[in-house]
Amino acid sequence: MFFRKSSPEKIRRSLLTQVKESPFKQFLESPLPDRDQKIIDTEFLALDFETTGLDEKNDAILTMGYTVIKKGRVQLKHNAHQVIKINKEIPEKSIVIHKITHDRVDQGEHLHTVMESLLKKIAGRVLLVHFARIERGFLNAACEQIYGHKIPAYYVDTFEIERRRLQNIQPEVAPNLLRLFNIRERYSLPRYHAHSALEDAIATAELFLAQATHGSNLNAPVKQYLI
Amino acid sequence: MEIEQLEIRDFLGQCSPLTKLDEKLLDQVVNTLEISYQRRGSEILKPGETNDRLFLIRTGAVEIFDQDGNRYSHLEEGDWFGYRSLLHDGEIRMQAKAIEDTLLYLVPGELFLSLFQQHEAVRNYFSHQKPERLRSAIEEIRKKNQAPLIGSHAADLVHREPLQVEQKTTIHEAAKLMKERTVTSMLVVQEGKLKGIVTDRAFCTKLAANKMDFDQPVTDIMTPDPITITPETSGSEALLMMARHNIRHLPVVSSGKVMGMLTATDIIRHQSHTPIYLINEIHRAVDMESLQKLSAQIPATLVSLVRNSLTAYDIAHAISAIGEAITQRLLTFAEQALGKPPIPYAWIVAGSLARNEQTIHSDQDNALILSDDFIEEEHDEYFKRLSKSVSDGLNACGYIYCPGDVMATNKKWRQPLSVWRGYFDTWIHRPEQKALMYSSIFFDLRCVYGEKSLLENLRQEVLQKSKGNTIFLAYMAANALQFHPPLGLFKRFVLEKGGTEEKALNMKKRGVIPITDLARVFALAAGVDALNTQDRLEAACNAGECSQSGKADLLDAYEFISTVRLEHQAAQIERGEDADNFVPPELLSSLERRHLKDAFEVVRILQDAMETRYQAGQLK
Repeated sequence: MFFRKSSPEKIRRSLLTQVKESPFKQFLESPLPDRDQKIIDTEFLALDFETTGLDEKNDAILTMGYTVIKKGRVQLKHNAHQVIKINKEIPEKSIVIHKITHDRVDQGEHLHTVMESLLKKIAGRVLLVHFARIERGFLNAACEQIYGHKIPAYYVDTFEIERRRLQNIQPEVAPNLLRLFNIRERYSLPRYHAHSALEDAIATAELFLAQATHGSNLNAPVKQYLI
Repeated sequence: MEIEQLEIRDFLGQCSPLTKLDEKLLDQVVNTLEISYQRRGSEILKPGETNDRLFLIRTGAVEIFDQDGNRYSHLEEGDWFGYRSLLHDGEIRMQAKAIEDTLLYLVPGELFLSLFQQHEAVRNYFSHQKPERLRSAIEEIRKKNQAPLIGSHAADLVHREPLQVEQKTTIHEAAKLMKERTVTSMLVVQEGKLKGIVTDRAFCTKLAANKMDFDQPVTDIMTPDPITITPETSGSEALLMMARHNIRHLPVVSSGKVMGMLTATDIIRHQSHTPIYLINEIHRAVDMESLQKLSAQIPATLVSLVRNSLTAYDIAHAISAIGEAITQRLLTFAEQALGKPPIPYAWIVAGSLARNEQTIHSDQDNALILSDDFIEEEHDEYFKRLSKSVSDGLNACGYIYCPGDVMATNKKWRQPLSVWRGYFDTWIHRPEQKALMYSSIFFDLRCVYGEKSLLENLRQEVLQKSKGNTIFLAYMAANALQFHPPLGLFKRFVLEKGGTEEKALNMKKRGVIPITDLARVFALAAGVDALNTQDRLEAACNAGECSQSGKADLLDAYEFISTVRLEHQAAQIERGEDADNFVPPELLSSLERRHLKDAFEVVRILQDAMETRYQAGQLK
């Protein structure tokens, strides 16, 4: 048997008829961006999570940061950074890396509140992440937990763009070459020292602009980057 | 996460003029910021279109081109552009092009305009062109170093022990003592306590005016209970007291005890006029040994001039005047030893001394123009010995022998006027490579001793010939373009190995000399006889040979580069090192580096203009 994977847009339309009134339904009411439109006409939500681990089933989102690309420019007025209140134990390791203390997590927002506002931001936009497995996995897990469904969305993954590009040059791509800050260096982007979800989201957004500009230009259709 | 923690905000906060905005306004800039990435070669601003953003370069480089496609400026990290169009209703007149992959921060035009209107710092920064920025930087340096008098105390300024006499001393005895000690005042004391002051003026206003008997006690003409100061009184306060009371002498008294006497002359001496004293001493020196000792004071004099914030122009004139005085003194020594010269001669100095641009001891460049009465067999021996004596003396005083042998001891440069005339004819009419080597030296000549008219006539003739002589000027211009400012690709500093192994900016060869060379060509083209670089630029501009703005920019660049060089040399001397021309860029503040780049950029632009104007490119 041969299954053709349904497009996220088709899934959105079908979900819209199934779900009851909720922030999720409101989200589903906006169509996903047109795959054929130009990059410059597409809005992106650059998103980064900091999590307690890599497994979306057992780990939790600690913080999230996002910003928007519109008309080919990162628009800092859309910046947001949120700390999420969790019940789970935070492993000492992620405290060290992310400098998030237990106190601050206790002060954070509840996940469903954060998701509600995040969905509004995602509506009509392409999600832009570095290493999609994490953000997509945790985002879907959170939506399933709260609304019972995964989130239909288009993603652009700067990690994947770079992996493909490098694979054309060399068969074996060392994982280290694909770290966000190492890729940025190759595009002469500034070195950011801080490590926060918002800073990483901005860094990812800048990187995508650089990759898209080098790949062709911002008038090229966005679909070549969508996953 | 709070916005304050964003690195973007840190970066913006370090960029002038945002450094002068308060935190809230900075947040406003960050919150409305856009980020754009431009690939190398892409056009960011297109003439004829409208712009509504202010651009700041985060990484990369951008160049601005004027309507004729000439490069107007090169911008890099931390530089702004787009403000000119914003200030002209968005109308883009100049093209902006990324010449490297560039990340830009964009500030909304309306926010920029409101900041521009409401904040003087923003207005000042953006209404100034680069050269004007340089001008205000020079003023900043001046201000920073100024008011040394305020920082000084009477105790530091007092020159020597005051003359003190008892109350019973007669007027006659007092006058004799003053004459012997060559002082203009004395203090009258009793048991160490100050009773009064007698100044030279009292002998006129009291003794002579009242036909007093000079065998009377000195107390009859003294001013009792004079105004005094303490050792802690500042120099500026003392100066004010003198001005207010119309007096020139202030006894320094501490707990009732006389400590010294501060005179107006002491203050003047402190006010960086030391070269005048040094020059005076040089002219009074009786032998080589004392001359050498005085010459050894040049480095210390330079330090004091620099620390007193004189302009580079004044400092170079003062130091050159010392060199000139030493030369003159050596010539009088030589004439004393050799007897009167058999025929008139002019002792000529060349190069930096001729231009009044010496900073530290440099090589000696000199020559002799002899009267046309010169008969070699009869006269040359005298001048040969004269030259040797002066040249050796200069060398002993730290002005080492010229490596290129441009000295009067070299027969070629010890010739009668007619021969010199021939030299210049050849240099001007057949300007080949060899001639060019001499050009920078022999077009800067000054007579410091002897028959000045010998040189004056020659110079007038030379200027007549050089003015408007396109071929000669093309060669001179090509020669002037040999050394470029030390700016490499993307406006990075080009460093050279200096005296030590460390790489540094060569502030003479690549800083001062390119400007000196430009000024010389302008002066020769205009036929003006000024020698000093700054004087030449003024005169050439008045003669219409270079533009008003070109002149003003170049003068600022010259002053700034010279000041950086002088500060570096003064610091070296203070550290006990030999002064040189190699400035390591890491010793400069980021602001100084930026201004230095502005200054070098000005030189580069003027060099390009000169190349076009005199068609020097053909001869390269």
